Amino acid sequence: MIEVKGVTKKFGRKQVLKGISFTAEKGEITCLIGINGVGKTTIMNAIMALTPINNGQILINGEEIHKGSYEKITFIPDAITMLPQMKISDAMQFMDDFYDCWNQKRADEMLGFFKLDKNERISSLSKGNTAKVNLLLGLAMDVDYVLMDEPFSGIDIFSREQIAEVFTSHLIEDRGVIITTHEINDIEHLIDKAILLNEGVVLKEFNTEEIRENEGKSVIDVMREVYQS
Amino acid sequence: MNVNFNNRDPVYIQVIRHFKEQIATGSLEPGEEISSRRELANKLKINPNTAQRAYKEMEEQRLIYTERNLPSRITKDEQVLKAVREELILQAVDSFITSVRSINVPLEEVLDLVKENYEKHCDE
Repeated sequence: MIEVKGVTKKFGRKQVLKGISFTAEKGEITCLIGINGVGKTTIMNAIMALTPINNGQILINGEEIHKGSYEKITFIPDAITMLPQMKISDAMQFMDDFYDCWNQKRADEMLGFFKLDKNERISSLSKGNTAKVNLLLGLAMDVDYVLMDEPFSGIDIFSREQIAEVFTSHLIEDRGVIITTHEINDIEHLIDKAILLNEGVVLKEFNTEEIRENEGKSVIDVMREVYQS
Repeated sequence: MNVNFNNRDPVYIQVIRHFKEQIATGSLEPGEEISSRRELANKLKINPNTAQRAYKEMEEQRLIYTERNLPSRITKDEQVLKAVREELILQAVDSFITSVRSINVPLEEVLDLVKENYEKHCDE
C-alpha cells in the first residue's frame, strides 16, 4: 500500500499541496482526478521523493522511501526522459543497465503489443508512439507500484485505446497503479478508486463500483457534484 | 466482443446481465467453457477486479462452476437455466409495459399489435 498522509508542499509562497491524504492499494488502479494545476504531478513527484515535502509522511509498504524503493516503484512521466538521438533499443539497454528489476522479456512483449520498431529513434516517434515507449520503459520493470502521469493526454484515439488495453492485461498483473488524468471518459470502467483534487486538497475519495452500486452515480456525476457545488 | 456499459450501474452487475443474455439466447451453452477473468477484462475493457467480482457472484448464483484449477464453465443445472430465461423474459416484458403504459394504450390493442408484429419479426 502507498499511504500519503497530510502532505503539504510550497513552491516559494505558493502552497501547492495543503494537507493531502489518501491510500493506493496493490492490485488496484487509483486515479487522481483534477484540472491542470491542482498538484497532481507534484503528488507523484512527492511519492517518488523527487521533490521534498514540507509536512506529512509518505509510506510505501509501511516504509519511507529509500534508495532500494526505486526497485519497487516506478514513475512514468507525461514526457519521455530519454535522449532524442537514442533508438528505442538504446533506451531499453539504458534501463537494463540502470535497474535490477528490468524485465527484458516483458519489454520485448510490449514492443510487439504496441507494434513498435526498436530501431526507431526517439526523436522520430509520433506523439502516440512516444507515449507507448514511455509506458513500455516503466511497465517492463518488475515493480510493485507504477505511477503514471497523464498517460492519455494529447494522443490520438487509437493510441488511447491501446494504452487503455494495457490496464486490463497481464502487463499490470497485481501491481498497484496510480494514474493522473483530467479526462475520465476513457478509463471510467478501468479504475478501482477515484480521488478528486482541487487546489491542493482532496475533495473526495471513493470506490467507483461502490458509488455506482450504492448511489447509482457515475464518476462524472460525482465530479459534477463535487466541483460545481 | 463489444458490450456497451452504462456509467451508472455497477459494472459487475452489467457483466452478469451480459452473461445471462448470452445463456438465454443460446450463444453460451450449458457446460461451455468461458474466458478466464483476465481474458474477460481484456475483451470487455473493464477492470480485472470487476471481472473477478462478476465471476464470484456468478459462482454464488450457480450460473457458472469451477472444478479445481480448470477454466470455469456455464452451469448445466436445468433449474438455474430456466430461472435465467424467466428472469430475462420478465425484465423485457416489464420494460415493454412501462413504455406502452406511458402512452396510455388499452391492453387489448397492445396485445393485438404484439400478435400482429411478433409474426412479422419472425418472418424477417
